[in-house]
Amino acid sequence: MRKPLPPRQDALWWWRHPAYRRYMLREATALPLFLYALCLLYGVRELGRGETAFQAWLAFMESPPLIALQAVALLAVLWHAWTWFQLVPKILVIPTRHGTLPGHWLRLAHVVPAALCWLLLPLLAWWALGQFAGGGA
Amino acid sequence: MTRSLPRRSQEPVAWSLFGAGGMLLAFLGPALVLITLLVLPALLADDVAAGHAAVLAALRHPLGALLAFAGLSLTFFHTLHRLCHGLHDLHVPLSARLVGWVGYGTATLLSLLAGVWLLGL
Amino acid sequence: MSGSLKVRVQRYRPEEDDAPWWQSFEVPWSEDTSVLDALNHIKDVEDGSLSYRWSCRMAICGSCGVMVNDEPRLGCKTFLRHYADADEIVLRPLENLAVERDLVSDIDPMLAHIETVQPWLQREQAEAPEAGETLQTPVQMARYESFSHCINCGLCYAACPQFGRNPDFLGPAALTLAQRYNLDSRDEGREARMPFLNGEDGVWACTFVGYCSDVCPKDVDPAAAINQGKVASNVNYAVNLFRLLRGGDDA
Ligand code: SF4
Ligand code: FES
Repeated sequence: MRKPLPPRQDALWWWRHPAYRRYMLREATALPLFLYALCLLYGVRELGRGETAFQAWLAFMESPPLIALQAVALLAVLWHAWTWFQLVPKILVIPTRHGTLPGHWLRLAHVVPAALCWLLLPLLAWWALGQFAGGGA
Repeated sequence: MTRSLPRRSQEPVAWSLFGAGGMLLAFLGPALVLITLLVLPALLADDVAAGHAAVLAALRHPLGALLAFAGLSLTFFHTLHRLCHGLHDLHVPLSARLVGWVGYGTATLLSLLAGVWLLGL
Repeated sequence: MSGSLKVRVQRYRPEEDDAPWWQSFEVPWSEDTSVLDALNHIKDVEDGSLSYRWSCRMAICGSCGVMVNDEPRLGCKTFLRHYADADEIVLRPLENLAVERDLVSDIDPMLAHIETVQPWLQREQAEAPEAGETLQTPVQMARYESFSHCINCGLCYAACPQFGRNPDFLGPAALTLAQRYNLDSRDEGREARMPFLNGEDGVWACTFVGYCSDVCPKDVDPAAAINQGKVASNVNYAVNLFRLLRGGDDA
């Protein structure tokens, strides 16, 4: 006599194993990043409405809740980037004469330029804005 | 064995935008957050007029505008893609089709806004 | 190294039980005692009514998959010595599959999914044996070889929350086998397989949780295969779009 117990996934499945919690954390990075992008979009609008509006937007971005959001967004985007580069070699297959490019090379080829971007672009922005502000004054 | 063929999923469109956004975020996201968190406020503290002009000039440049548009739009598609799938993962009782329309519709709308506002600068 | 360990087993006997229940045993172990050995010990010495599957006891038949402390594992490839410091080991039937009896799961859904993607070499024209072998270089073989190591144990299905969420999802092993044959230079069946990959229950139901690749006892890396399948399906989508734009038929 067959009387199988049907499988049933409950809504909290993702809490039940570290691998699933890591996955959910990766997916959850989208929430602060979405809110952060909304703030930037708002900033673009305020930029176009003149200096006073732009200044108000800057003040808004410097208010404690928004500082907190940006701090969370920074952590989120770093976790996103880390997990993203881990997965790249699984998707990207680059054939070579003897087979395919090894995964750790591919990962390195992403992580190193990315880390350079993370460090150099803020410095570049700092320098460029300073140049502009200095020249304009 | 004959088996009726399944309907083709439209996910490739969403996935391509998600992937492009994810790659862009991984490369530029941390730098961008560092800039808005540290660089802009520090510089603008003493000369808002010059700072405003500088950012305006950067985003009026075609290259700057294009990058800003791609950055914003792809980030919206990337994050909303994950959030839509997240709702499904969390067993939120909404039809996937509805969630898809609202999610990607929102991303499209926000992208349009970004385009309009960037062009209006 | 030796000792004894508490082994807690989920029981379900369809004739008598309406719900699963737990039974504990004290099992002696030494360095080479596997979970399968422990089950055999229980069945031989403690309770002959316990049901579970096994055959090869060397990680190749793929029939002894169970949840060991909430992780999908092959009973014959998992050793009690690894749990020497734990209070107990807990054995359940594989997650996401129906339970027939005790530790025996109904793997038919997985087998049906595997059959769906037609995982065999397909040639447009049948060739007579006299025509000789269809040759393949080592580099051509390397493109799919690791994906061909699958033993259909179903551990990846127990690890996959998307299969748990939607049992129609073709799942890790089936999509990996599809990719394995699509990548084979001797195969010509890609066109027959792609519609199943392209569908809503094909590669696109995967969200790259990646746990399937962690639990696979053969290092097949099904998550990699599926996501390479997404790239292939993406290309297929673009080609189809182009065909549609030029007034061709939907495929
Ligand atoms: S891919 Fe690995 S885990 Fe999945 S059925 Fe094959 S051997 Fe088992
Ligand atoms: S008994 Fe064959 S794989 Fe474990």
